[in-house]
Amino acid sequence: MRLDWLQLTDVRAYQSLEVRPDPEVNVLVGDNGAGKTTVLEAIGYLASMKSFRRAPDASLIRDGAETAVIRGEFSKGEIRVRVEVEIPRTGRRRVLVNGKRPSTMASVAGEIPLVTFLPDDLDLIKRGPAYRREYLDDLVVSLRPAVAVDLQGYERAVRQRNALLRRDGRYADTMTLDVLDQRIAELGAIVLGLRLDLLERLGPVLSGLYAVLGDGPEQVAWIYERSHGGPIVGVSPRPDLGADLAAALAAARQTDLDRRTTTVGPHRDEIVLTLANRDVRTRASQGEQRSVALGLRVAAYDLLRERGDVPVLVLDDVFSELDEGRSRRLVDRLPEGQVFVSSAREDEVPVRGRRWQVTAGSITGVGEES
Amino acid sequence: MFEAPVQKLIDELARLPGIGQKSAQRIAFHLLHVEETDARRLAEAVVEMRERVRLCARCFNVTDSEECSICRDLRRDPSAICVVERAQDVVVVERTHEFRGRYHVLGGAISPIEGVGPEQLRLRELIARIEPEGVTEVIVATNPTVEGDTTALYLARSLKPLGLTVTRLASGLPVGGDLDYADELTLGRALSGRREM
Repeated sequence: MRLDWLQLTDVRAYQSLEVRPDPEVNVLVGDNGAGKTTVLEAIGYLASMKSFRRAPDASLIRDGAETAVIRGEFSKGEIRVRVEVEIPRTGRRRVLVNGKRPSTMASVAGEIPLVTFLPDDLDLIKRGPAYRREYLDDLVVSLRPAVAVDLQGYERAVRQRNALLRRDGRYADTMTLDVLDQRIAELGAIVLGLRLDLLERLGPVLSGLYAVLGDGPEQVAWIYERSHGGPIVGVSPRPDLGADLAAALAAARQTDLDRRTTTVGPHRDEIVLTLANRDVRTRASQGEQRSVALGLRVAAYDLLRERGDVPVLVLDDVFSELDEGRSRRLVDRLPEGQVFVSSAREDEVPVRGRRWQVTAGSITGVGEES
Repeated sequence: MFEAPVQKLIDELARLPGIGQKSAQRIAFHLLHVEETDARRLAEAVVEMRERVRLCARCFNVTDSEECSICRDLRRDPSAICVVERAQDVVVVERTHEFRGRYHVLGGAISPIEGVGPEQLRLRELIARIEPEGVTEVIVATNPTVEGDTTALYLARSLKPLGLTVTRLASGLPVGGDLDYADELTLGRALSGRREM
């Protein structure tokens, strides 16, 4: 898949912008604050329907404007996909795919395969379990859009249960809790199963990548630590996920009634990554952590490509964070698809490709350059 | 801002579901330009509906008399009840001409987020119908959402101890269309719920 055309109206600093990117490598160069990331953020938004900056939608709207509009046209051979998003300051956003309203947001998210590398990717390793769960769940949905409804359903069911607990506490209706538990156990088992399936594929890919991107042939492995029941390691025979979760919810009922929230389930699970049996989060060097984080993104790319679609690759200011060795090894592995790279310093970008000069609110092609 | 009477109508219209500011303006100006009798007919239709229509005493469908036309129809099979969330769902199921029983309108689905629990729905009224009407099967036609599913499970748990058959609508492919017209979600559902032939 590649982006052929991008148009922004009232998005952050851009009043209006139209770009026809190169089908291969695009390098956006400009000072900090010039708007490089905004362009990449907009491209990412068209694929995932959210900002990779974790910014609320309203922050995308230019100061003084009422509605931000992002339009893009992607193509893959003969297939063309046009995605348009209108984000108003008040009211709901409007999304059109090929001029039609999609039946669900999830069906949009599966349409455009895209992988983003960010300076903050180290968060995947260093910060709380929510970051790792989100990484897995996003990748699950990109690979299998049809299961998005189960992931969203699980979240919704937990929110319903929490709302009931918050409102009624110990007086919450038992039968309503029972049926919510039943639904949460069913959907939770699906979510868990999807995460484990993905981790099983991811494990060997990560080890292989670490050998290339990292500093040695150490083994990358994972431990899935459930908030209930025991941890699940590697391809061990899988326990009955649904039954375990149902039992855990029943056992946690009294605690949940007291604390007015749902204390067990996939929304509380942790995914521990290990490097040569050391916990990467607590017992690896900064450099090792960076290599594993980089590996997670490259692995996402590789798995999406395996599905048969070359993803669009977005690298937002990542080279400033990497030492020369890692930069070079990443670039050597750069794929045949379309790439967007941003950097404040041109000499930092070790790739050839179309150069774009970004200055406050505008973008100009400055031709091919090495 | 428009002149006060126009703005007042726009504001009222914009409060309706599915109508935003722009649509409200378009409708308001349309009504300004049509024949006065046409505009008046619309206003009278709204008033008449509110004055004459009420809820069926048995199934809570909308009706203009004590009981709705379906509940009054003696040819309908009283042993089967189709449970729906809202009155407009009755019309949707009726259009299939496949169901010959009666209905029960719950008035929503269990959703603690919106403050709706079983006690806010017409569940007690449903259970009260089972014996006197000789109901043996309840078909749950709530929406295929988390709230609809939860409500369906709740109904199954409440009704099964009474010795009833409780069934739930299947979800799957639209009939008569090409496979490539189905969105991934529907197709995915249909695939995971496939049946052996």
